[in-house]
Amino acid sequence: MNKAESSRPDLTHISSPPQKGLSRRRFLERIIFGVVGVVSAVLAIPIVGYTISPALKGASAQKTDLGPLDSFPVMQPTRVDFSVVRQDGWIRQETSSSAWVVRQADGSAVIFNPHCTHLGCAYNWYAADKLFRCPCHGGVFDIQGNVVSGPPPRPLDRLAYTIEGGRLIVTE
Amino acid sequence: MATKVTGFLDERTGLSGLLASFLNRKVPANLNYLYTFGSATLMLFTVQAITGIFLSMYYSPSPDHAYDSIKYIMNDVAFGSLIRGIHHWAASGMVVMVALHALRTFVMGSYKYPRELTWVIGVLLFLVVLGFGFTGYLLPWDEKAYWATVVGTNMAKTVPFVGDFVFKVMRGGEDLGAVTLARFFTAHVLILPVIISALIGIHLFLVVKLSISEPPERAKRVR
Repeated sequence: MNKAESSRPDLTHISSPPQKGLSRRRFLERIIFGVVGVVSAVLAIPIVGYTISPALKGASAQKTDLGPLDSFPVMQPTRVDFSVVRQDGWIRQETSSSAWVVRQADGSAVIFNPHCTHLGCAYNWYAADKLFRCPCHGGVFDIQGNVVSGPPPRPLDRLAYTIEGGRLIVTE
Repeated sequence: MATKVTGFLDERTGLSGLLASFLNRKVPANLNYLYTFGSATLMLFTVQAITGIFLSMYYSPSPDHAYDSIKYIMNDVAFGSLIRGIHHWAASGMVVMVALHALRTFVMGSYKYPRELTWVIGVLLFLVVLGFGFTGYLLPWDEKAYWATVVGTNMAKTVPFVGDFVFKVMRGGEDLGAVTLARFFTAHVLILPVIISALIGIHLFLVVKLSISEPPERAKRVR
């Protein structure tokens, strides 16, 4: 047995005798768990924000120019086809869309969503009896979009618009 | 209340004993900060696992969308640049920590009996970490990622006899394209995580079982 042998590190410190009050060991334990707890909480906030952020974003308003208002006949529904650039997360897609425009006598306009409010079929304008008719389940609407007969639960949906410099702009 | 719950769980699982044998194990009294690199690596691995899981939420591993999806993370997702930034820097940090950990193990002679197996597993872990770095680097699908992987896969080609085959397996064909990106993604988020988890489990088990080696001391001459 030489000197070096006897100076082996002491491995018995773990089973130190019980102390009064807060032991050094208990104190360090609390510090460590406390710090880990705070760090975890601070990191949890960005992760939660990251996860829910797409849900918090409102639908981005799109402006679509449908042309001069004067080009639409008064009180005569006209179907307009146009393309919409849709931002789907990181994918930009150009999709075709359409709407029914009814130019009013007072210089305003009514723009209908082209889908029947029943189950989303495309309806058509029948000039002879002045009605919108949906071919799928027989939904019928008048020129104001009100339900005349059939299963639709509510009047036709209207699209928001503005008139800028005489041009009709759909804003949704 | 809390002790009631933990008492209930512990009575049925005996988890506290397992935790105690991991946390309250005996270690040499004269350890120093050089002996924390392994723990630091484990910590960084945890960070990478968590941030990586959340990055995959907005990432699309296809050549058409990979770059745009990362741009989306950076510009449009709340804290997206923070989460990706952490993943980016912790990735480099992990390679550095693994290297320092291996260096300390070597210089202190900790790889010797009875810890040879821990060392061998550690070498495998080192290779897996480099694999993570290599496969993760392609995922942003920008110019740097693309050309770095062109060069990296071309290197495999220089291996005698099997090089050309390895090269094609890496790329999923002759060209670096959609197939390459998809398989690098799968390797990065599915295959390598399974392998590294298993290896870390074995590595930690051995560390706990064999305890940490004593640092060599000046007074203790080897005869």
